[in-house]
Amino acid sequence: MKRYVARRLLLLVPVLAGVSVIVFMVLHLSPGDPVEIMLGTQATEEDRTRLRADLGLDQPLHVQYVRWLGHVVRGDLGRSLFMRRPVLGEVLGRLQATLILTGTALLLSTTLGIALGVASATRPNSLLDRVSAMASLFGASMPSFWLGIVLMVVFALWLGWLPASGMYAPYGGGDLRDLLAHLALPAVTLAAASVTIIARLTRATMLETLGQDYIRTARAKGVVERRVVLRHGLKNAMIPIITVIGVQAGYLLGGAVLTETVFAWPGVGTLMVQGILARDFPLVQGCVLVVALSFVLVNLAVDLLYAWVDPRIRYE
Amino acid sequence: MIVTTAWLVLLTVILGIGATPMRAAAQPAGTLVVGLVAEPVNLDPAQVTDLNSNRVGRRIAETLVTFPDESTQVVPGLAESWTVSRDGLRYTFKLRKGVSFHDGTPLDAEAVKFSIERQIMPEHPFNKLGKYPFANYFFGNVKAVEVVDPLTVEFVLKEPRASFVTILTAGAASIVSPTAVKKFGADYALTPVGTGPFKYVSWDRGQRVVLEKNPGYWKFPVKIDRVIYRPIVEDQARLTELMTGNLDLMVGTPPDFVAQLEKNPNVTMLKQVGAHVWYLGINNQKKPLGDKRVRQAMNYAVNKEAIVRDVLKGTGSMSAGPVLPGTWGADAGLKPYPYDPARAKALLAEAGFPNGFSTTLWVPESGSGMQSPVAMSTVIQSNLKAVGINVALQTFEWGAFIARLRSKEQELFALSWMAGNEDPDMVMYPLLHSSQWTPGGPNRAMYKNDRFDELLHQARLTTDEKKRAELYRQAQRIMHDDPPWIFIDHEIQTAAHAKRVQGFKLHPSFDLRVETISLTR
Repeated sequence: MKRYVARRLLLLVPVLAGVSVIVFMVLHLSPGDPVEIMLGTQATEEDRTRLRADLGLDQPLHVQYVRWLGHVVRGDLGRSLFMRRPVLGEVLGRLQATLILTGTALLLSTTLGIALGVASATRPNSLLDRVSAMASLFGASMPSFWLGIVLMVVFALWLGWLPASGMYAPYGGGDLRDLLAHLALPAVTLAAASVTIIARLTRATMLETLGQDYIRTARAKGVVERRVVLRHGLKNAMIPIITVIGVQAGYLLGGAVLTETVFAWPGVGTLMVQGILARDFPLVQGCVLVVALSFVLVNLAVDLLYAWVDPRIRYE
Repeated sequence: MIVTTAWLVLLTVILGIGATPMRAAAQPAGTLVVGLVAEPVNLDPAQVTDLNSNRVGRRIAETLVTFPDESTQVVPGLAESWTVSRDGLRYTFKLRKGVSFHDGTPLDAEAVKFSIERQIMPEHPFNKLGKYPFANYFFGNVKAVEVVDPLTVEFVLKEPRASFVTILTAGAASIVSPTAVKKFGADYALTPVGTGPFKYVSWDRGQRVVLEKNPGYWKFPVKIDRVIYRPIVEDQARLTELMTGNLDLMVGTPPDFVAQLEKNPNVTMLKQVGAHVWYLGINNQKKPLGDKRVRQAMNYAVNKEAIVRDVLKGTGSMSAGPVLPGTWGADAGLKPYPYDPARAKALLAEAGFPNGFSTTLWVPESGSGMQSPVAMSTVIQSNLKAVGINVALQTFEWGAFIARLRSKEQELFALSWMAGNEDPDMVMYPLLHSSQWTPGGPNRAMYKNDRFDELLHQARLTTDEKKRAELYRQAQRIMHDDPPWIFIDHEIQTAAHAKRVQGFKLHPSFDLRVETISLTR
């Protein structure tokens, strides 16, 4: 087990190296560079040349990449071109907000998704099942920024129950209740699409599991229905559900970019958008590396969870 | 069963939080909360390249000369007076006595020299701390900054340029505390220290920048205790926060929301035309666009009134040229080209294109000062179509767009210019003088008119404002008859604030002067 984890962690290196090359290339090959954006329309050719040299952007791409990588290996993600501050500190400072948001969204989508899925599977073709199917279609096809704005208009503007943006009230606030109030709308927005995916998958695997012989045996033995469904059914249906939850965790980390922007949530997503629009290369590279790292770690955690859920799975 | 439990949990959370409404949670009496369209990036005035950083940074650090609250005429700031040598090469400023920076360092000639020289002298010990993107644009013409005595400082120029005093109103010309720069190094951008009405307090990334009043402000007693700036990118979120009392003031109202806000009884809507111009550039070096009659025809063909009314919903004022109407350099006799498609067709026929021609129009999807570029360009496209000019519209992301304009391959392009001041030299010269052709300078229309060039050059050498104004008026008449672009509009900036905000005005320079505000309960 330990050796397995060690090997998986070691595999992180090539994965992250691959990610870094792709991000670096995509950013540098897309038209427009930071100098254009920094100097805007007033730039003279002289200013551009000087600034480009100052920022090291006049070097060949591979030289720039190797130089950047050299710093990264030593734990230095460089300084943001626009903010002039170390990227690592900026990204880590934002990571907490993103983890709170995606964590809550994942919790919401998992509980609601499994609950809905189980309920639909135990009563197939019932009213609940149909409503849930409809809601799923709606949830999956609705863009999150649109849902976010609708929720904002209803709960913040019309009802005045929840704040529309930010993580804490601008003054006062700062306690848990304040955080939860600000978290509610973005978390629900972010969770919406995942709930439906988890619910549909849970329904399908549960239907299959509940059709198994051992379920019939359990029922024949007179086990209470609730116990049949949860203990005998759900636990055995968990493997594919955990897989999809793992995938959803990654999706939520990425999807947080849009949701964070809509609700001015101070996470890595808003920072990344700011960086992309400004072509702030070191900043975007730093954000993507950190997000990719989180994603890979979540995947590893999911793989380890399998062994816990199904004792037949062993890692050597 | 589980479903109901889960729903109950969710509902309890939402309702529990909602039970006591969040709106207007006890605003501290003296605190003003401002919603910005994006987060400030950098608060070292010499490194600022964006409007939001500028709007916050100018509260902290000030310039030698400045603008009054309602116009962009140059008036004394940290300098109480100045003189210009006869040859126009030496500008001598007398500093205000008894002003000090927020850290107690006195404002003196050394501080002025330090603030400018750190940007322009590569060998300056603090030059390497930042990138100073506009150092060359603003101060490339400065040979030296000399300390005459502790309260007198002299700028020596390489060649005369009458707009130099106006240049010193730029954010990059802000005077910073040398003590603070030396102490904080590169982190000065995070902990700025100046002489302004507000002191820097804190910055929670992505959430807020907090400033506190400078009790010893030299100009007037500041009436609010604290300003909190919140970056809220999404228009709907900013609007909702204002309407629910979580913001006191917001800038950047999308045109479609203006009417809604004007009707809201809890909100005051402000409008102010800014020192800005939005134009549809024409490549004067490409056929058939090089023909003056074709460019005139295009100006007659476009219905600017409809653009301003229907696309911009009143957030634009029709333009007759780059200079802001009503300022000293503007020619009052210049009127926007009327909408006259018949005249346009006649001119096209005269130029040899009775059936029109085909061309392309490059448009950025967004960009600072670009208003609603795609919607505006679409109207222009259909107006031109009506007189026989078939325009293919191509949209680009902003960064890619400005890079492309250096290719000289553009035919038509949508662009804007935010001078932030009224000196015609700061808008006509860079945009239209033939020495400023792209890629060397910002004349992306590659306009060239010899008489016009000569007038602009003479105006630079003349320090008398009346004489300069006359030269610029002549130049504008030439440019109006031989139009380099299709003139479209000057942006009308908008802001909305809560009723408790008193004494706020939008500034034509796009600055956001919250120090004039007082708050009622």
